[in-house]
Amino acid sequence: MGYEALDFYDVDSLLTDEERMIRDVVRDWVDESVIPKIENACREGVFLDEWRQELGGMGILGAPLKGYGCPGLSYTAYGVICRELERGDSGIRSFASVQGSLAMYPIWDFGSEEQKEKYLPGMASGELIGCFGLTEPDYGSNPGDMVTKAEEDDDHYILNGAKMWITNGTIADLAVVWAKLDGVIRGFIVEKGDEGFSAPEMKGKHSLKASVTSELVFQDCKIPKDRILPGVKGLRGPFSCLNNARYGISWGAVGAAQSCFDSARSYAMSRIQFDHPIAAYQLVQNKLAWMLREITKAQLLAYHLGVKKDSGEWVPEHISLAKMNNVDIALEIARVARDIHGANGILDEYPVMRHMANLESVKTYEGTHDIHNLILGRHITGIQAFTREA
Amino acid sequence: MSVTIVSEPHEEGMHPTLPQLVRAASVIGESCTVIIPGGNGADEASKIQGVGKVIKLNGACFSVFDSSTWSAAISGLVDGTVLMATTPVGRELSASIAAGLGRSVVQDVTSIAPGIKVERPAYSGKAVESISVSGDAVITIRPNAIESAESGGSADVSTVDSGEDLRIAVLEAIAKAGERLDVSEADIIISGGRGLGDRSNFEKLESVADSLGAAVGASRAVVDEWGLPHSMQVGQTGKTVTPSLYIAVGISGAIQHLAGMRSSRYILAINKDPEAPIFGVADYGIVAQWEDALPILHEAIKSLP
Amino acid sequence: MKVAVLIKQVPDTTARISIAGGSVDEGSISKWTISPYDEYALEAALKLQSESGAKVVAITLGPQRSSKSLIDAAAVGADELIHVLYEGASGSLSLQGALAAAVRKSEADIVLAGKQAADTNSGSTAPGVAQMLGLPCVGLVSEVKAVDGNFVATRSTSSGMERVSVNGPCVFAFDKGDEELRRPNVRGIMMAKKKPIESLSPADLGVSMEDGGVNVESVGYPPEKPAGQTFQGAASASEVVTKLREEANVI
Repeated sequence: MGYEALDFYDVDSLLTDEERMIRDVVRDWVDESVIPKIENACREGVFLDEWRQELGGMGILGAPLKGYGCPGLSYTAYGVICRELERGDSGIRSFASVQGSLAMYPIWDFGSEEQKEKYLPGMASGELIGCFGLTEPDYGSNPGDMVTKAEEDDDHYILNGAKMWITNGTIADLAVVWAKLDGVIRGFIVEKGDEGFSAPEMKGKHSLKASVTSELVFQDCKIPKDRILPGVKGLRGPFSCLNNARYGISWGAVGAAQSCFDSARSYAMSRIQFDHPIAAYQLVQNKLAWMLREITKAQLLAYHLGVKKDSGEWVPEHISLAKMNNVDIALEIARVARDIHGANGILDEYPVMRHMANLESVKTYEGTHDIHNLILGRHITGIQAFTREA
Repeated sequence: MSVTIVSEPHEEGMHPTLPQLVRAASVIGESCTVIIPGGNGADEASKIQGVGKVIKLNGACFSVFDSSTWSAAISGLVDGTVLMATTPVGRELSASIAAGLGRSVVQDVTSIAPGIKVERPAYSGKAVESISVSGDAVITIRPNAIESAESGGSADVSTVDSGEDLRIAVLEAIAKAGERLDVSEADIIISGGRGLGDRSNFEKLESVADSLGAAVGASRAVVDEWGLPHSMQVGQTGKTVTPSLYIAVGISGAIQHLAGMRSSRYILAINKDPEAPIFGVADYGIVAQWEDALPILHEAIKSLP
Repeated sequence: MKVAVLIKQVPDTTARISIAGGSVDEGSISKWTISPYDEYALEAALKLQSESGAKVVAITLGPQRSSKSLIDAAAVGADELIHVLYEGASGSLSLQGALAAAVRKSEADIVLAGKQAADTNSGSTAPGVAQMLGLPCVGLVSEVKAVDGNFVATRSTSSGMERVSVNGPCVFAFDKGDEELRRPNVRGIMMAKKKPIESLSPADLGVSMEDGGVNVESVGYPPEKPAGQTFQGAASASEVVTKLREEANVI
């Protein structure tokens, strides 16, 4: 049997015909091009270039953006794409999230007309890879106090500082970098060949191994004045991008969970112990039923969030809820799935431990679990509890 | 009820399925007429018990397979139910004859009874259809599904000439470069595992595969250790296959391998260890050293009619 | 040049088939697809479209749900879509008659089809439709090229492959080829929405759907396989081969 995506409440019946067709195209692509290659890519720690080309060829990069060669799809379709990609691997979905929501989106929303025409079509087709430079070695959950600086110098800006944990950095043609210009956070487009810019790869990861994670280093990095994003000042810029990416992740986590459930169910039906498949034992059924419950809830959360995103009636806290919940349960599902697989679960014959390791990163990036918790806490009470100050 | 059999041309004489078709004809009708396009093997055909007469249908057009031309040549000679064998030629020709005569065709039946009642597989063998067919239909019968008729007949052989012109011209023959099927396409797969002992022993599997028109597969262990092409790998991280027959030689049947082949319609396992898990899923399990069993298996296959 | 492609919607070949009350329970089928060999025919048609500017008309015969297969064909580039809407079952004669009539209506110059459908596994449609249209048929084709109003095709034979030529209109039945099948991209999916589907009944085409002497009385599961049999010793291999031929009928 091929992959069976758990959809107990038929949530996919709520999609449009086109959204289902897009789902099928991406699902088939993952079956043909990701599943056979992902374990090896993971062992070798590489993101295959052909995936970039094929994602571009499918026309799914920058899914919800309209114009400039972008797909112009609904947010629901974007969610479905993320879910199907992450069923394959969180690293694949991370590539698409960074490219679409973190690199294409800020140019689309805050860039000049020239910038949009220069970069967006090539990014939509996958020819140009983008990345997003916000996080720094000492500034993760607290991006507002970042130290990367931009200074004006004649007809250039000079950037100094470093960014860390940047997906796609080493392979990117351009980076959307957030730095303080006169104390105000602004977005700058830095290109691969720019003087004083380097993007070394970070090695030694136990998670997201089939994804490129990098540092971005700016040492008197000189960029022309026309590289500043004119349309936004302050944290609103990067946070708008993060909202979009987090939305995609809330769907993506469902895909990872579905993959783990499918593998666990299939394994439990075939593994015989004490003359019966382990699926016949109560504790195993309990685990599978719990997974089904959580996946169904997460699917409904993601779907309705998509409806709200498409209608425009949403606030960032809605996204925090879904990202936090769905990634949290996906990680637990991966752990329980590994447990059901027994010792076999630690081998890369099965996807479960790879998903488990990946989801550790997904739980931390794009706003840690705890930060989203506090975002909701602030929403409920009106009192911020992020810092020790008032 | 009269029955006409259209027997496929065969280089070595009469087509081996003809005696089976004659037996089928005797189930549903009285004697049958056998038409042989090109005429090869007519005398042999006349000796099958149950054949009423044999028509050698001569014509230049039978040198190249062209279903619309052949059916034009044959249709005028047809009387009653038409039976043919389900081969690539048989499928195409039977459908062409049926449409030309304004009849329906039923392909690939595995049993036939008076009435006429037939059964045939559908959905790649996942289901069986029970069909009632009127007397003037065209039916193709799966090779080896029906027993052969006995010999001992002596039917008349006559000759008819056909002047039909071919509508297909052969430009050139391209000999296939001896490519073996990939495991994902084959209806029969023979796979080897660690029990084979050495990579070179895969050649022995290959020669059995050649006799069966099968693909050759492998377990993950030997793909990793002996550097076999990944395309041969059957299992959790290789291909999932659903052939009609899966022959596992020297494969223990670890859960990861079973995941890739347990949906095969029939599984034959050869392993020296009677406790090997593969025997838990095998329809036919041979507990023996593969070095001893495989040659016997191969000989038996080669001597099948 | 206009190329007609006959496509059939079938249950996905990995789907479980559930049978209830003597017939296949369609409600239990989780996924429907274009029959795999038809996809190769469609791919060949799209190649003719890009190489010679041919127009591709996709034709399907089946119930309402079959229109999805036309939308899928449109998503990879089919220009025109014809749905012969028919809800029942019928013998090959009427089904082929309806398809032949649809091909005539489409004014196509050649017809491409898969060699056999994944549900019936019969392989009668292409040669039958060819006969009804008075056209030659070439089967087991892996490739077709248009060459000055004629067609050159590569087809399988018992001894290998051969290249054949046909003058003028013809029906080609496709086997699996080496060509990679193109996948729809988002743009194709969104454009497919805009292509109209011409929906016709067999009566519109002047075809009556009488069963032509074939009646499927029931569908059932294949007989239970006998329990696994174990044999000791290498000599048993010849007995097993006999069983494979006579009991299992797989060799």
